[in-house]
Amino acid sequence: MDMMLQVLAPELLILIAAMTLLVGDTFWGHRHKALTFQLTLASIVVTALVILASFSTTSVQLFNGAFIRDGVADVLKLSMLFMTFFAFLFARDYLVQRNIERGEYYVLGLLSLLGMMVLASSYDMVTLFMGLEIMSLALYAMIAMQKDSGFAIESAMKYFVLGAMATGLLLYGMTLVYGNVGSLQFATIYQTLATTEQSLVLSLGLVFILVGLAFKFGAAPFHNWVPDVYHGSPTGITLFLSAAPKIAAFALMFRLLIEGLEAALMQWQSILIILAVLSLVVGNVIAIAQTNLKRMLAYSTISHMGFIILGFLTGNVGGYAAAMYYVVIYALMSLGGFAVILALSRKGFEADNIVDLAGLGKRNPVLALVMLVILLSMAGIPPFVGFYAKLVVLTEVVEAGLTWLAVFAVVMSVVGAYYYLRVIKVMYFDQPAAQNAHDADFANASLRYGLILVATLVLMLGILPDGLLTLFNDVMMY
Amino acid sequence: MNWLDINLPLVVLIPFAGAALAAWAARFHRVAAAWTAGGVALLSLALLLPSAIDTFAGETLIQSWAWMPSIGLWFAFRLDGLALLFALLILVIGLLVILYARYYLSAKDSMGRFFAYLLMFMGSMLGIVLSENLLQLIVFWELTSLTSFLLISYWQHRKDAREGARMALAITGAGGLAMLGGVLLLGHVVGSYQLTDVLASGELIQQHPLYTVILVLILLGVFTKSAQFPFHFWLPHAMAAPTPVSAYLHSATMVKAGIFMLARLFPALSGTIEWNLLVGGAGLATLLIGAYTALFKHDLKGLLAYSTISHLGLITLLFGFGTPLAAVAAIFHIINHATFKASLFMVAGIIDHETGTRDMRKLNGLLKYMPHTALLAMIASAAMAGVPLLNGFLSKEMFFEQAVSASDAQGWTWLVPVLVTIAAIFSVAYSLRFIHDVFFNGEPIDLPKTPHEPPRFMKIPVDLLVLICLAVGMLPMFTVAPILAVAVAGTLQTTPPEYSLALWHGFTLPLWMSIIALVLGVALYTVRQRLFDWHERTLHHWDARVIFNALLNGLIKTAHKVSRRFDQGSLQNASAWIVVAALVAGGWGFWLSQQPLLGDRVLLDIDPVSLLMGVLLIVASVLTALWHRQRLVSLIILGVVGLIVSLIFVKFSAPDLALTQLSVEVVTIVLMLLALYYLPQTTPKESASPRQWRDLALALVSGIAVTLLTMSVLSRDFVPISDFFLAKALPEGGGTNVVNVILVDFRGIDTLGEIVVLALAGLGVYAMLKGMSLPAPSHDINGLAWHTDKHSPIMQTLTRLLLPLTLLIAVYIFLRGHNLPGGGFIAGLIAAIALIVQYLANGIVWTRERLPVDMHKVVGVGLLIATGTGLVAMGINFPFLTSTFTHLHWPIVGEFEVASAIAFDLGVFLVVVGSTVIALVRLGELSHSAPNITAEKQ
Repeated sequence: MDMMLQVLAPELLILIAAMTLLVGDTFWGHRHKALTFQLTLASIVVTALVILASFSTTSVQLFNGAFIRDGVADVLKLSMLFMTFFAFLFARDYLVQRNIERGEYYVLGLLSLLGMMVLASSYDMVTLFMGLEIMSLALYAMIAMQKDSGFAIESAMKYFVLGAMATGLLLYGMTLVYGNVGSLQFATIYQTLATTEQSLVLSLGLVFILVGLAFKFGAAPFHNWVPDVYHGSPTGITLFLSAAPKIAAFALMFRLLIEGLEAALMQWQSILIILAVLSLVVGNVIAIAQTNLKRMLAYSTISHMGFIILGFLTGNVGGYAAAMYYVVIYALMSLGGFAVILALSRKGFEADNIVDLAGLGKRNPVLALVMLVILLSMAGIPPFVGFYAKLVVLTEVVEAGLTWLAVFAVVMSVVGAYYYLRVIKVMYFDQPAAQNAHDADFANASLRYGLILVATLVLMLGILPDGLLTLFNDVMMY
Repeated sequence: MNWLDINLPLVVLIPFAGAALAAWAARFHRVAAAWTAGGVALLSLALLLPSAIDTFAGETLIQSWAWMPSIGLWFAFRLDGLALLFALLILVIGLLVILYARYYLSAKDSMGRFFAYLLMFMGSMLGIVLSENLLQLIVFWELTSLTSFLLISYWQHRKDAREGARMALAITGAGGLAMLGGVLLLGHVVGSYQLTDVLASGELIQQHPLYTVILVLILLGVFTKSAQFPFHFWLPHAMAAPTPVSAYLHSATMVKAGIFMLARLFPALSGTIEWNLLVGGAGLATLLIGAYTALFKHDLKGLLAYSTISHLGLITLLFGFGTPLAAVAAIFHIINHATFKASLFMVAGIIDHETGTRDMRKLNGLLKYMPHTALLAMIASAAMAGVPLLNGFLSKEMFFEQAVSASDAQGWTWLVPVLVTIAAIFSVAYSLRFIHDVFFNGEPIDLPKTPHEPPRFMKIPVDLLVLICLAVGMLPMFTVAPILAVAVAGTLQTTPPEYSLALWHGFTLPLWMSIIALVLGVALYTVRQRLFDWHERTLHHWDARVIFNALLNGLIKTAHKVSRRFDQGSLQNASAWIVVAALVAGGWGFWLSQQPLLGDRVLLDIDPVSLLMGVLLIVASVLTALWHRQRLVSLIILGVVGLIVSLIFVKFSAPDLALTQLSVEVVTIVLMLLALYYLPQTTPKESASPRQWRDLALALVSGIAVTLLTMSVLSRDFVPISDFFLAKALPEGGGTNVVNVILVDFRGIDTLGEIVVLALAGLGVYAMLKGMSLPAPSHDINGLAWHTDKHSPIMQTLTRLLLPLTLLIAVYIFLRGHNLPGGGFIAGLIAAIALIVQYLANGIVWTRERLPVDMHKVVGVGLLIATGTGLVAMGINFPFLTSTFTHLHWPIVGEFEVASAIAFDLGVFLVVVGSTVIALVRLGELSHSAPNITAEKQ
């Protein structure tokens, strides 16, 4: 009983916080406007501290092996909490300006976070699916919160319809696997598959599972929703959407495909190769044509997802650790990138076109420098941490004997570097349009210092990249 | 710790720290930045020199710390002869450039920024040449790309500077990434990224099947950095940088980084035919193109830029020969080129600075205005042309010698000496032009400024460099020999071959080649005017930048085209993509498995009933799609589909499913009817015809695919998962209805989760629609007013009669649920339908008066009961939701099992009733506040 509470503590804390705020906000919402916000952040911090205090690499299973707490889960949860904390912190002023800062935003955000955490700890297909749906449903609602924006409603609608379709496929695949193996629990599935011959039904189940996974990752050719949703959602929500849920997508893939279905490696490896190659091409090539920064970052996300999939398809622990490293680093950079757009936007002006960044180097040198660091890191240029993330993945791909794939990924990174550099050029060399020709100060201290912190992390992790990677390797190995 | 154990990283890192210091110092006085930069460079040099003693003694110094050992990245530095030579070039020429730049930059240029960039660049270069770990080397390699970008774009207000900087960064940065790929593979083959290991495994690398890939990728990095054909075009455009930057980047540093890589990896990669062809070929082409183009540049710096390209080609060609002696010549020429080219760039800068132009058609006869500068320029130019007694002559002789010995091989190799001599002729001609056109040849033509000698200290760096040219040229044994020897040893990683630095070897073929080059070069220069005209008419418009831009534009155009095709923001398209991709993936997965489509399980016979149901199902589905624009009709037919499905469940002995399907069907149809009430009766035609055909095809294919999938699954034997549940349901769950036992017992926690979702969905609908009002339409599609009488008396009477009966059925279904088809979920739906029908037939107001129960409370109580059963089990130390059961004997009903799960089922029942009624009633109430029809009529 005590052990159970200890294992479940992070999820329970977030759940309790969400429920308390849901009720509480209706009482104090009008009088103490900031209280819900502060309590949300406090609950995230407390949860993170609780995880840190009880962090261990040993794994404990609950509910007949439906729920697991191990090093991987803890590290992923800590990263999710980190990203969510900053997403809330950065987005607040933006939401207030647009009159969409309501208690529900934080409640939904926390619920979505809860879903992600359940996902990270799931060790059974039903738990996994539950986590996935808790996360997704909350996200759909969050996007649709800006009711007066046609864009937001449209993207919520698209996300929902396509997401439901992909979820259906995923579920279909899981039932086929269940019917074939006779168990929902990952460890059992793993053992059954390792000892028995694999059948056609299993392969088909795998295909549908992969389609669902690829959708959640936003990997090509299941990527169509990513640009529309990132572009259409209010920036404050895109910020949330692009960071922590990607870590959850990693958890989804890791638990289902690796811990459950790794024995079928031969069957899914080739599909993952196709997904990775397509994502790298589509993400990098289409990003070049974008004039909208959010859309461009969305396409760059697709290419980053290609890299994460590269880590998975190596089929060895080092590769998974590399993918995990990449996804956390990506989430950090993405958080920073969208936060810069957020920092530039004002009421009635979204600042989400690339030209809106013109002259930023003079208008707000600190912000421009932050963006420079993030863009260079995304492009994979040393000494920023994005380079090491790519390097680690590529090393593992080469080790796995897929040399051509590594070379291809490098070539696509070269193409990708172009559009990041274009933004840098616009920031430092172009003249701003007349209406933007004034200084762009930070709206508040949390954005200023938060962004400086993110940029510093991107640089410091780049100079000292080993600690984090060693940790990830350790939790993967245990 | 001895500081000599950590001096190499300090040498590299001090300039980076110094960069910040210089930027800070510039706040106090602009010249302070220059002094700081100079001091920092001196400090680095001072830290490096003590280790040089060991290097001259033939030792290789390695200082290494773990950085990211898991992937083979070490923070490791290496000092051998080659590294020492380059580090000295970088630091010494860097110092001279700093001194020169202090006078070159005008008052409006920011000194702090300039020297900060310059120091960062210096640090990155030192990082490249002193790295022991190849990955670390790549890091510094990319840093030079970045910092050189900052330096070239220093004059940001100028468009050519911005463009030049961007092009340089794009080309060299991309090359660096290619090189990263090569290095990764190299590390994979060798098993380590440490140079010590890599350099010792030349044979292993060259016999590996990946050798060619590695070579090509690394050479891409080298060629882009060192401006080798076909990537040479960025260098002339980088001339938009301030001249000190050009002098530094294009003599001793940036472009030499590629050459350094060739030298560094020479023992590991050279000696194969691929190396000879790729490296030698690129070098030869670059040598010729550079030398030829340089003659036709009217811009002083343009001439120097192409001459730099040409000399880099020369060095590359020497490495391409692949022999140890050629490597000696290459290293020697690296030193010589660095000295004379740096001084020439500085001279060009002085002329630009003092006259205001760099156009050689305007610059004439400067000799009498600036005799000192002229003398320096003449000596340096002569060195570039390869005139005896100057350093350029010595290395050029060695180069000719190597070219001649390379021609011994088979095939077309005799062309090499010929082409090399032609390049040398052009080299003499453009060197002569640099002297004659600028300092003689009549009077200057409308110069912006009156020319005069520059400040004393601006010339000192040039003086020193020219002095080196002379000293090396005349007394090679006493000046350059020791450093050349260790550098060659460091490059080859073995004892250097025998070579002679003597000035006079007798009348050999190389000497004749030199003489021919000098004579014909002068001759070529005398007919230059005609050549210029010819060039202007023909080849002038050939510029590789055009190709670069065309490539870039092509890429952007493709991107736009692809985006237009795939990124239309259309939901239909997006879903079509997902369907197509799923189909392809599924088909492929099937194909990969190499198994027959159908298994060998004996299928049941097709009986008439099944056949009929199948046909009906197909017809109904097709009609639903066909008539989808008439919403009501389509909805009714959809109901048919649902009913047939529940019949199929009955046919195949799944009464529970049939019941559930039936009741869910009714509820959903009612729900959709309520929604339809507010929508137009027909849907407008939205899709164009081609798209409809596409969708039709897609639907057909996916339908067939799903059918085949089902067939293939069902026609195979499988171990059913039901045995477990069949065996355990009665003894452990206390029920014979396995479906119900699974729901409320085996997977009780899932069910609990699901009813929470259901409750939330009901509340969600309520919350979303609360306070919203939609005007109900007043007329139908034909313009006829809706009937004002909303509630038909016949319907009212019938439904009121039916209510107790339906509720009774619900109770019955609920009670038998644990053993026979039925259960809380189905019973809940039936009860909900009974209530909804009352609302529909009698109106909300009427029903609410008679049923004053708040459905929110029903939902809450249901959830409480369900959770409560779980908690009770926990309270008596069983896991959450453990169930127990006992047998009761009821009158009339007979033997009856009471399982604790039945309480759980009650919770399910209440939640289902509550949520369904909440949602449906809310939908029905939408138009309540809208103006009613009668009011509208009046």
